[in-house]
Amino acid sequence: MASEDPSVKAVQVKLVLLGEAAVGKSSLVLRFVQNDFNENTSPTIGAAFLTQKCRLENRVVKFEIWDTAGQERFHSLAPMYYRNAAAAVVVYDITKAASLEKAKAWVKELQRQANPNIVIALVGNKLDLVEGADGEEASTPTEAPEAADEDAPADEDEDGTPPPPAAAPASEGPRQVSHAEAKAYADECGLLFFEASAKAGTNVQDVFTEIAKTIPLDTITPKPAAGGAQNRRSAANAAAGDASAVNLGDGAAAKKGGCC
Amino acid sequence: MSLPMHLRAYTEKTKDELTRDLFNAPFPDQLPAPSEPPVVTKPARGAKGAIGSAAGLSSMDIIAVLSVEGKEDVYAGKLSLLPPFLCFVSNDRRSCRCTLPLYTIRRVERLNSRAGVFALSLATWHGMRIILQLTSLLPTAEHFAILLRDALKSQLAEMKVLKTFLPSLYSEYLLNSGSSTPNAEASLVDMPLEGEGDLRGPGGEGRGTYERGLGETFGFPGDARKMRERSKMKLWKEYFVIHGRNMTLLRYPPFQRLLQVGLPSRLRGELWEVMSGSVYLRFANPQTYSLLLSENAGKSSQSTDEIEKDLNRSLPEYKAYQTDEGLARLRRVLVAYSFRNPELGYCQALNIVVAGLLIYMSEEQAFWLLEVLCDRILPGYYSPSMEGTLLDQRVFESLVKRCLPMIHDHFRSVDVQISVASLPWFLSLYINSLPLIFAFRIVDCVLAMGAKVLFQIGLAILKINGEALLEVTDDGMFISLMRSYFSTIGDSAHPTHPDPRVRNITNFQELLVVAFREFNVITDETITSERRRLRAIIADEIEKFSKRAAVRNLRNVGRFNKEQVGIIYDHYFAAVCSPEAGSGAVTPAGPGELEQPRIAVDAQGRVETRIDLRTFKVLLSGIATWAREETITTNAFMQRTERRIADHEMIDRLFFMWDSQKLGTLSLQDVVMGLDRVMSADLLESIEWFFELHDKDADGYLTKDEVIRLSESLLFIFRNEPGDIYLAAVSRFILNAYEFGDATAPESSLPDPQDSVPMDGDEQTASQSRERSNSQAGPHNLPYLSLATFRMVVLADELLESFFGHDLPASFQLEDTQEEDYHKTHAKPDGLLGGLVNLVVNDENKSRFNRFADGIGSALGKHAEWRKPAISKADQNAPVPIDTRARESLLTPSQRQRVRSASSASQLSVQSNKTSASASTTNTANDSRTLADVEMRYREESEMVRAAQEAVMHRPNFAIDAIGDSDGEDEGGEDDVMDEVEAFLKAHGGDEDNALKGAEKKAAEDLLTAEPMGAPPSSSRRSTGDLVDL
Repeated sequence: MASEDPSVKAVQVKLVLLGEAAVGKSSLVLRFVQNDFNENTSPTIGAAFLTQKCRLENRVVKFEIWDTAGQERFHSLAPMYYRNAAAAVVVYDITKAASLEKAKAWVKELQRQANPNIVIALVGNKLDLVEGADGEEASTPTEAPEAADEDAPADEDEDGTPPPPAAAPASEGPRQVSHAEAKAYADECGLLFFEASAKAGTNVQDVFTEIAKTIPLDTITPKPAAGGAQNRRSAANAAAGDASAVNLGDGAAAKKGGCC
Repeated sequence: MSLPMHLRAYTEKTKDELTRDLFNAPFPDQLPAPSEPPVVTKPARGAKGAIGSAAGLSSMDIIAVLSVEGKEDVYAGKLSLLPPFLCFVSNDRRSCRCTLPLYTIRRVERLNSRAGVFALSLATWHGMRIILQLTSLLPTAEHFAILLRDALKSQLAEMKVLKTFLPSLYSEYLLNSGSSTPNAEASLVDMPLEGEGDLRGPGGEGRGTYERGLGETFGFPGDARKMRERSKMKLWKEYFVIHGRNMTLLRYPPFQRLLQVGLPSRLRGELWEVMSGSVYLRFANPQTYSLLLSENAGKSSQSTDEIEKDLNRSLPEYKAYQTDEGLARLRRVLVAYSFRNPELGYCQALNIVVAGLLIYMSEEQAFWLLEVLCDRILPGYYSPSMEGTLLDQRVFESLVKRCLPMIHDHFRSVDVQISVASLPWFLSLYINSLPLIFAFRIVDCVLAMGAKVLFQIGLAILKINGEALLEVTDDGMFISLMRSYFSTIGDSAHPTHPDPRVRNITNFQELLVVAFREFNVITDETITSERRRLRAIIADEIEKFSKRAAVRNLRNVGRFNKEQVGIIYDHYFAAVCSPEAGSGAVTPAGPGELEQPRIAVDAQGRVETRIDLRTFKVLLSGIATWAREETITTNAFMQRTERRIADHEMIDRLFFMWDSQKLGTLSLQDVVMGLDRVMSADLLESIEWFFELHDKDADGYLTKDEVIRLSESLLFIFRNEPGDIYLAAVSRFILNAYEFGDATAPESSLPDPQDSVPMDGDEQTASQSRERSNSQAGPHNLPYLSLATFRMVVLADELLESFFGHDLPASFQLEDTQEEDYHKTHAKPDGLLGGLVNLVVNDENKSRFNRFADGIGSALGKHAEWRKPAISKADQNAPVPIDTRARESLLTPSQRQRVRSASSASQLSVQSNKTSASASTTNTANDSRTLADVEMRYREESEMVRAAQEAVMHRPNFAIDAIGDSDGEDEGGEDDVMDEVEAFLKAHGGDEDNALKGAEKKAAEDLLTAEPMGAPPSSSRRSTGDLVDL
């Protein structure tokens, strides 16, 4: 790694969260960013933006997280958020087979349309729902909790699918995507793979830590955190220079930038 | 997979529609008469032709001068009769405006005035007297008066409803609570004083039956004192007395000023619905909302599920949305609208918008305002493809490029999209971005002035933060910067300024001033023309995007590659949109209905477009050569091919064979798999599917009937082949089939002399093959011919063998449809060459040109027509027979003539291209006027840009007056508000109201005292007895 100054400098990494509606994208991010659930999740219009630092042994990675809206019609807006992203977390719900299909579609799309070096992590959320041992603990809802949502496996309020398996809080009952199946798919496509629970906090930190480790930081254009003022200024100057070069004699336009 | 079909169905608004939009006047089909049954689900916006003519009422515009009793100002402008509304807008489009429902006009009289002036006096429901001088020629004015009279008559029934409707409006309560006679209001009875802590603001104690929002119970956002609610309320009350209220509200210059300082909370809901015109919908559809709720009670859908999920995320900081009552209201409005407009359903962000509306409005008020928002103010913002959002983001970017070129260039250089921040601004009307009290002031302006305000505010935000924005290097910095700006929007814009008056100017006030002064060059026309310019690009992008997604999401693409699947998608889409496939409009049909191209929801809750049989025929005609009738016409100039859709039972069979889920419709996946099977089939596979196609009960045997059907299918495919070798082959096939069939058929189906039935039904088609064996009269519905036997029969014939082995698979051809450029070629009037071509070649003059050319061709004896055969082995494009020698002898003399002229035609075709090109040039001359228009518009726009840039450069210091920010709202508070008002007035640039001066004004004043004429029947109207009070 080309990390000559591992002490303070944070490397910025743009990360985008994708996945079907109600798989728990926002919950994962909240768990990671605040290590908690927020009763009143800020509504996702297009995408919510959050940041969080992740400390590794030799460096600090600052994640800039775009938590995209899961509603199908916002799909066409997603490219705006995943362009230039260095990492993507594609989330599915292990209690809903269809959500893995959607996740696969996202992976395909990312592999074709996004940054070619993008690190993709496939995350099966709601692990708490299928762990018999954690049955008791699993009584906090996963997705932005509804007031009346006391029954943990009852995720049906988040999606239209009928919830027959949810009725039984038995051990592996609600699981619809096996660990092996998803793992095999992830390996085949070269994805990082985790099963996690935003609710219980299981594996959430690991997802982001592993991404931070995996990202080839030397390929990311260093976003200046502290010492970059110069850099930025020169960029601004360059832009200003461009502008005045384009409309010569339009000096007032250039002046405007500096005086308002 | 659902197709963005509405993008193709899009048509620019007509002049009538634009006028109605200007006045926020709904269309007559949205306004059922009280006697009509209520319309619950949204009427399809297809029957535009019927507008106005439905009730036999016509619209008319006329030049007029308007004045009001009690006001000095007189305005010249345009008066529009848009039944059931009478609308006026002053020439500057800003100073004076009104939209009067005809049912609020009690009386119209023609005034007796000096010769030559045709003047009408209107008495409104609220006792206001409006004088209109129709300054056109007398006959025109008289005609207008007649139309007005007819339109007024048709609204008598509505007038009765008005009486019961009005109490739902707060302004009625406000003005009637103090005294009973409206005129005494002028004395301005002091409004009841609230206790110090009343967050609801002044103006009532919750009495009265008016519609009210959650704020009445849970308190309105913001501090009523700081917001000067009392003073504002008093000013509005004064305004209402002179200028009318709610349904009869007239917009005079003070209106704009009162609007821009923020509407008082209690009046806000009513003014929102009056300004946006949604009140007319609520008036005309009194039962719709409750019916929607009761009819759909307990139903769940994808939308209701999504709504449920978002309820808790909708302005959770506002108290009411932490209670069941608040959430229940929000749920009901969103659910009702999702059933009202199932095509739109529910879109995230609507929860925020509606949560905002419900603070100030009742459920029903919010519901109708939501309809106006989705239909007119923010068209396409929340639709399933969100094309309006994408389009307006692109428009915004282009405006940034024009008005703030440095910011635009910088963002481009660091590769940051402005939309990452601005998208939620537009989608949630800033409600999600700014603190509520400020966001609602923007909503006030949007509802009064239209979507341009969103752009003006957005540009102002960027401009004010210009310097910091030039330091931004990535998305994250941009978002953080915007967030910190919004969080300080209520702070002083100049905290260190020595003058306290300047210090008191908040960031928000500065924002409004910049938005409305510096960016007032952004007009409705700017937005409309930018949308028009960019729409095609956006539509193309959406289509390409959905195509990519649709292709990618196919579970199985068979042996096709991606390009081929793409072509299949294009054909599929083209078929769905084609006029032959029925209405282009998507009607989300219930599960029982078999509508045209329809939307179905799959197991995962995704919306899917499927095609029915009729559409399938269109699709297949684009792919299979035998599924279309192609007529090739040659004349002296050119050769052209006309395609029509063929119809045969075989196509129906194919449809049902491909319908894997037996739904009666095909998905794209079904079509891909179906085509995969037939196109990549080898000899044996072709034989097999063709056999299965006719084996209805799939028992592995064809019955005798089915053998006949199969041979009919073959004959159908061969119908246009020249010569009779195919006919002979089919005849041989039938003979052999029966011969082998008898030998191999299962015991049960052996000929039984008893029930020998003649095959009448098949006689006419089968008559083509005279040689058919008549000896095989046996039961026709018993298993007879097995696949193996069928195969043997086919392989016995060389021609059939080559047909199944090669020609049949090859008859399915995936030609590029050039669908991708659909929008660009259609909507690029600015591109010089493309524009020319489009102007010249439209469908109408193309067919006229063709007919003309045919005429010349036949005059020259060079006109010829023939059917293109489905299987042309030698050359796909030329009708050359397979075996010329064998065929030649069979041709009739006239056919020979045709073949010859065909070859001469192909020689001519090069020449004809030239000819048609020169023909185009002649047409160009006729269209040069249109081009000049285009150029002129362009020049106008670039001048506007220049003006905008200049405004940006020479931005003087703010001339905003100080606003005393003392907490106690003393007597001086009113003046303070007016100071603020004046500041806006000044800031707004147009201080003079463009009112008429001098002689014209004098004339108008004279009219106020003029006597009514002897009530000539053409223009006066005596309304229902009890309402007349003059």
